[in-house]
Amino acid sequence: MAKLEASDAVVFGISIDSPAANNAFAQKIGVTFPLLSDMNRKVLKQYGILKMYDVQKEEYDWAQRTTFVVDKRGVIQSVEEEASAINPNSAIAVCTKLPKK
Amino acid sequence: MRHTFVKVSLATALLCAALLPGARSAQEKPKVNHTSLKVGDSAPDFTLLDNQWKQVHLSDYRGKKNVVLAFYVLAFTEG
Repeated sequence: MAKLEASDAVVFGISIDSPAANNAFAQKIGVTFPLLSDMNRKVLKQYGILKMYDVQKEEYDWAQRTTFVVDKRGVIQSVEEEASAINPNSAIAVCTKLPKK
Repeated sequence: MRHTFVKVSLATALLCAALLPGARSAQEKPKVNHTSLKVGDSAPDFTLLDNQWKQVHLSDYRGKKNVVLAFYVLAFTEG
């Protein structure tokens, strides 16, 4: 996190959870960045990362685990899906390389 | 013209549905949707509520900060 802040980046976590659930989650895991609620899945659809999950033979549409790095011009600089999205190091590396201004 | 296009699209969709019976069977693995966004594309703007019920607009950070958007499946689960 400190590395990301040093690279002039802000971080948002995004899921379909309610703000209340996200707040409890934030406190539990001690994150300092905001967790955003996409309760109507609008952003997940916009970003094309709505994924069907089977849970006890019922289908649920939740987020595909994905990390995007967006630069100051609003341009996507990196997209990582699934397992590679869990490790923040490459997102940090991308941010560090981006111009400061 | 537009009308014809809609008709053709609909016909194609119906044909595909007819040719693929049970395409979504119970055994089917969860469908993976790969994002169509790629490096160099504009990130679609959004407004979402944060965990303090405060609105966050992606566009507010334009020209100011780089933004890392980390989408996760569900709170209180692994990853």
